[in-house]
Amino acid sequence: MKPLNSLCIAVALGLCVAVAKSSAAEITVFAAASLTDSLKATTAAYEQTTGDKIIFSFGASSTLARQIEAGAPADIFFSADEARMEDLDKKGLIDAGTRKSRLGNTLVVVVPADSALPIKSARDLASDAVKKLALADPKAVPAGIYAKAWLTKQNVWSVVEPKVVPTENVRAALAAVESGNVEAGVVYKTDVGISQKVKIAYEVPAADAPQISYPLALVKESKQPEAAKKFLRYLAAEEAGQVFQRFGFILLE
Amino acid sequence: MSSEEWQIVWFTAWVSALSTVVILPFGLALAWALARRDWPGKSIVETFVSLPLVMPPVATGLILLQMFGRRGPIGGFLHDKLDLDIIFTWRAVLLALGVMSFPLLVRSARVAFEEVNPRLEQIARTLGASQWRVFFTITVPLAARGIIAGMILAFARALGEFGATIMIAGNIPGKTSTLSLAIFSEVQLGQDDRAFRLLGVSVALAFAAVWGSEWLLRRNRESK
Amino acid sequence: MAAAPQPGKQVSLLLKNIALPLASFTLEADVEIRNRVTAIFGPSGAGKTSLLDLVAGLRRAPSAFIQLNDRVLTDTARGFCVPTHHRGIGYVPQDLALFPHLSVRQNLLYGCKSGGAIDPLFAFDRVTDILEIQPLIARGVRELSGGEKQRVALARALLASPRLLLLDEPLASLDAPLKAKIIPYLARIRDEFQIPMLCVTHDRVEALTLADEIVVLVNGKVLQTGAVLDVFNRPANADVAKLVGMETLHPGTVTSVTEGLVAVRVANQTLTAVAPAQATREVFVCIRGEDVTLQRDSESPSSVRNRLAARVVALRPEGALVRVELDAGFRLVAAITRPACEDLNLQPGLAVTACIKAPAIHLIARE
Repeated sequence: MKPLNSLCIAVALGLCVAVAKSSAAEITVFAAASLTDSLKATTAAYEQTTGDKIIFSFGASSTLARQIEAGAPADIFFSADEARMEDLDKKGLIDAGTRKSRLGNTLVVVVPADSALPIKSARDLASDAVKKLALADPKAVPAGIYAKAWLTKQNVWSVVEPKVVPTENVRAALAAVESGNVEAGVVYKTDVGISQKVKIAYEVPAADAPQISYPLALVKESKQPEAAKKFLRYLAAEEAGQVFQRFGFILLE
Repeated sequence: MSSEEWQIVWFTAWVSALSTVVILPFGLALAWALARRDWPGKSIVETFVSLPLVMPPVATGLILLQMFGRRGPIGGFLHDKLDLDIIFTWRAVLLALGVMSFPLLVRSARVAFEEVNPRLEQIARTLGASQWRVFFTITVPLAARGIIAGMILAFARALGEFGATIMIAGNIPGKTSTLSLAIFSEVQLGQDDRAFRLLGVSVALAFAAVWGSEWLLRRNRESK
Repeated sequence: MAAAPQPGKQVSLLLKNIALPLASFTLEADVEIRNRVTAIFGPSGAGKTSLLDLVAGLRRAPSAFIQLNDRVLTDTARGFCVPTHHRGIGYVPQDLALFPHLSVRQNLLYGCKSGGAIDPLFAFDRVTDILEIQPLIARGVRELSGGEKQRVALARALLASPRLLLLDEPLASLDAPLKAKIIPYLARIRDEFQIPMLCVTHDRVEALTLADEIVVLVNGKVLQTGAVLDVFNRPANADVAKLVGMETLHPGTVTSVTEGLVAVRVANQTLTAVAPAQATREVFVCIRGEDVTLQRDSESPSSVRNRLAARVVALRPEGALVRVELDAGFRLVAAITRPACEDLNLQPGLAVTACIKAPAIHLIARE
């Protein structure tokens, strides 16, 4: 067969496949870094049954919100705090009708797995034994904002602040503790499960911690609103809820 | 510009200047050895020195993180024996800037040394000058313009360093926040006007540095 | 310039077992240099500069033994090599290598030993006075003329109180009038500073004018050493002969030997020459242009044994002399003064008689 002929046939076949694929939806979800493992676990079954493809972009909720503002092609935004979602809502970038506060979480203080540092309260973080404390950037990232709120309420923030190593997102704070380059870090309880190299030194009681709430919503500019809403309903339903609980999240209602 | 912003500019300027000064003796020594001597393994050393120029800066940062972290070979020694931390301190900024700008200095200085007529060095030795005296009184003065151009380039590179710095120094406000890091985080926070102010300073500094380097090179060429 | 032998320090530079591989040959030498001014004479690329570099310690050879007076400088057998800056050997390279970023004064003072006793022989004022560079001291190097740079370079080397002075083609880059001006300075250096000088040159006139002793170096091999005039008048082989400028050089055959004289056949002419020490049948015949006289007629008797009928082919003026190229059955070159040439009214095509004294015909064995 002449090379030009076979090229034409290959292109035609490729187009057929592309057309066939496009009948299944591709949804992009921008989600907080702390949801990485749990969200991935929920979608495996979903993709099987519906044939839709879910693409994730995990990061600090603040970074993701900035990107959505700048026009990034997200269909769903799953934030780690209400403030980021509120921000986008005020700018008219999300479909308020689909907004739902889905998950809660617990803050924990983690130390490297081989550390002998005794931390029994917020006050211990103020001691000289803790030279550096890793937090997701307390100026912007929800995990850091929650941690700062807690430490402020416990009246130790002014002493602790100079020791803070602000990181890009909460998983980066976890990584900093794992590397041993900081004495301790404040992350979500749900983050610790995946790591062998850290251990929980102190779990912040719900009474002391600020209200942690993970809202999700449809992004108005979504190109696949129907398919995205379908996935949103799935995430709000029981099956997904069980997966989240398995990872340590609290279900809000 | 607020005082915090000026602090960031000042910190960036002095740590970039310090890193250039710190790498100078090592850079000159290596450049001289590459220009004037041959030895087994020379091409391997040449390649290693050029790596930070070619590799993604975050990759270089990652390597530095492994080496200088508390669990790493060098960082571990410093932490255990001297109670000295590198990662997440201003020393990490110095390290990142130095490593990333080192190849630029070495390249410029090497070319400058190669352009010095070796006969002049030889005659100086017949006049009784030791290798050190020849180096400081003949080689360096004749290579001075090229070396200074190299230092300016290194300084400019240090000013703009991001990838390796954020890896090993983090972006700790008031402690390791450089111009590039600050611009990045201000954009993250949606503080575009602050980001643009810092951007303006950054461009002005880089412009001055590169222009100065080009001017020196032009003068060097004209005087030949 | 070759002056009467000077009394004074006995000098000796010993070069033994030198073997230095260069681009297309290996430099080998085994000589002892004893005279005040010695020329290393040879064509370009013979390895002369490399030899100077070895003596100065700027190059290392796989095999070398170098000793200056009673001080061993290099002995590869023992792995011993004095570093350049401790050798006390002055070097004036062909490009002079004045430091462009320093003033003339700074250049001059570069090698001066600070503190300690300076040999009054090499005192600053004395050296600058002898070489007449005092007016130049405050200037920058770039402002100097060629001859001035030469003298500054010489002074700089001398101010470092050297024990030996190496000069690489000291007159090569100068035009004829400038050469004539510099030669007296070199003579002064020889006389006033009493240090041995080793000059490299490819110009036979330079060698004749500068040196007492000559080392002929061709393709890295020493072909002959000795007093300059000895080597020039009695070259050891054809290569040396060509170098030292026997302008007439032809193969010839000795046809008979009688009482210390030989008859040599060159082309179809027969010449009478003094028998050489080694008598061989096949020879090269060497005649210096200066030893050939020309006559318009051939009648008057004279002591000259060889009178050849020749025709003028070409005239080449060279300063005060004219080199006359003749066809005497073989190519013969005569060097006569310009006035003589005019008196004889020499022109190409003219028939003359060329006279060569028998002792002036030099024979070299040809095998």
